[in-house]
Amino acid sequence: MIPVALYLAVAAVIFSIGLYGLMTQRSGIRILMCVELMLNAANLNLVAFSSYHDDLTGQVFALFSIALAACEAAIGFAILMALYRMKDTISLDHINILRW
Amino acid sequence: MAVENLAFLIPVLPALAFVLTFFLGKKLPNGGSIIPITAIAISFVISLLITLKLLANPEEVVSQSYSWFAMLNIGILVDPLAAVMLTMVTFASLLIHIYSTGYMSHDKAPSRYFAETALFTASMLGLILSDNILQLFICWELVGVCSYLLIGFWFEKPSAATAAKKAFLTTRIGDVMFLTGIIVLFADLYKMFNGTIPDGVFILRFDEIFAHIPEIAAINSTILGMEVSHITLITLLFFGGAVGKSGQFPLHVWLPDAMEGPTTVSALIHAATMVTAGVYLVARTFPMFIAAPDSLMVVAYVGAFTALFAGTMGIVMNDLKRVLAYSTVSQLGYMMLGLGVGAAVGAEAVGISIFHLVNHAFFKALLFLCAGSVIHAVGTHDMRQLGGVAKVMPITAATMIIASLALTGMGIPGTSIGTSGFFSKDAIIESAYLFGESTGTWLPYLFSIAAALLTSLYIFRLVFMTFYGKPRTDYGGHESPASMTIPLSIFALLALIFGGLTAEKFNTFVSETFVNNFVHVDIHELATLGGYHLVEHAGHEPLLVLWMPLIVALAGLVIAYLVYGLKIVNMDSLVSRNNPIYKLLYNRYYQNSIFTNFVSVKVIYEGFAFAGRAVDRGFDWTVKWFSDLAIESGESLRQFQTGAVQNYATAVITGVSLLVILVKVVMEVL
Repeated sequence: MIPVALYLAVAAVIFSIGLYGLMTQRSGIRILMCVELMLNAANLNLVAFSSYHDDLTGQVFALFSIALAACEAAIGFAILMALYRMKDTISLDHINILRW
Repeated sequence: MAVENLAFLIPVLPALAFVLTFFLGKKLPNGGSIIPITAIAISFVISLLITLKLLANPEEVVSQSYSWFAMLNIGILVDPLAAVMLTMVTFASLLIHIYSTGYMSHDKAPSRYFAETALFTASMLGLILSDNILQLFICWELVGVCSYLLIGFWFEKPSAATAAKKAFLTTRIGDVMFLTGIIVLFADLYKMFNGTIPDGVFILRFDEIFAHIPEIAAINSTILGMEVSHITLITLLFFGGAVGKSGQFPLHVWLPDAMEGPTTVSALIHAATMVTAGVYLVARTFPMFIAAPDSLMVVAYVGAFTALFAGTMGIVMNDLKRVLAYSTVSQLGYMMLGLGVGAAVGAEAVGISIFHLVNHAFFKALLFLCAGSVIHAVGTHDMRQLGGVAKVMPITAATMIIASLALTGMGIPGTSIGTSGFFSKDAIIESAYLFGESTGTWLPYLFSIAAALLTSLYIFRLVFMTFYGKPRTDYGGHESPASMTIPLSIFALLALIFGGLTAEKFNTFVSETFVNNFVHVDIHELATLGGYHLVEHAGHEPLLVLWMPLIVALAGLVIAYLVYGLKIVNMDSLVSRNNPIYKLLYNRYYQNSIFTNFVSVKVIYEGFAFAGRAVDRGFDWTVKWFSDLAIESGESLRQFQTGAVQNYATAVITGVSLLVILVKVVMEVL
């Protein structure tokens, strides 16, 4: 059996990639993708611990989380589409219409 | 019921009259003048009865004290000094109120007038009755307020409003000094008791103060490099208050301007009563003054100088009331001189000064009421427009001449024939001679003689210009109603005979003020403390000294008659703007200009403006420093707020990472 520490290590790597992307990228789509990466890193942890503890609750929780991530992505992409139509860009530096 | 028990009613009745007249006066005929007249009449009767009782037994003074709070009390004290003042004030006030009924009949707000004069009378009586210095001070301020209200009675006239303000502010200088004196006195007495004052001891009551005079005299302070006894300090501060109130040089400037009020107010407040409060204060605290080195000398010099100084301005004024105003200042100077010569004659000084005060109240009130009668009938108080008024107003003219004779002190020395002023004024001048003999300083005596000449000159100038000769303008006019002429006649009778009737008794009676069952001071002992050598007033003065006042008074009369009566001597070349002396006098020694334009505008106004600007700048700088701090720190802090979410996220992640590391390290160490 693969030790749980490896799952956690993979999840940490994915999370860090997502975090790095979140901090450095300017494109809206990339940032959304990075957020998805970080979310799924967390899901990976949930499932890993669920399996490790023989408790299904964690996996059910992960399913909920995935469903929510899907919703989030749908809304996020919809907003970005609308913004792109309006401003011809999805660079977040230029999307500041709600700022004073 | 003994009449002494009613003494408290003397000020209370006019105070009640004030309230009643204030609220009900408008609904009554003549502005409700009947209320104050009745109240003051009752006060007068009570005062008179108490005075008569005191005359029989001067030692049994009326003294009632009640604890107010802590070591202070309220109370009344009627000793000979207070009794004669009370009788004089109630009497003068009564007659002037009756006169006012006629005088104010055409006014818009007679009820306000009568309410205010009733309040004034109440305060003045309270001042006289006070048995402690603090209560006296409270009433002192009250009469000041009433004076302000009544000078500004016609407040819609800008000149009246300004005059009221000027009177109030000028006397305030004196009042602050008076209050300072009370504070120093209180502190000294409080120290003497080591802070523990037994029940029933009221430290600001006159008997308590007088009992501690030697101890106060022993305290010294160094002021401006000079070693000053506290008794001198306190008495000079009190005298400062008296200078303000009684219009002595250099604070006399408000008194001539105070003539903007109704003439009856001038008669009541600025001739007969309030302005004499300063004299009364010095007389009341005379034991302190005589124990204070130099204080009485200051009083004598200021008084004598004021008498002369005001007289010089009196001879060039063209306004009826202003001549009388300067005359009042001059006569108040005489009263102060009368007290100052106490350095030579001791407690008798209080007698002669108060004697002159009472006589002056009668003849000066009469002069003002006569002037009021003329103004009421003719409508102008510029003497240059008057003349020949005697034909139209015989009663007024006759009473005016009697008053003038009383003012100049006409009488035959060595006999008891003479007007009131003769007995009191000559007594003061003779005492000034004794003062000169005793101290070797003759200036007060010379000033008083010169002032007597001027007195005669300005008052007969007024008489001849106003009542004789041909009318200079067509003024019409008629004799005043009976409500005005009857008080005039009564005052005239008193101005004529009061002095002669009471001269013998008055001095001894009032001088006994300081030896009775309330206070008992040894004036001779105190005079030693003050370093004064008292001499007996034995009447051994040379004949010339006795006749001198009469000679100069007659000289003044003759000069006035030649110049203004017969017009033999032509004064036109002297009375012109080209004559520097005339110009100086006419402009009142430029004192007004100096006080108003220089002291007020340049020194006080500019000074406050400068100080104000400095403080303002200080505040501005501080406020600006804080606002700059806020702006600058905001400016630098806002650099962090980029608005980019990613920056915030980076900060959050950095923070969390550091926290995790920190926790890890701490866990490791533990």
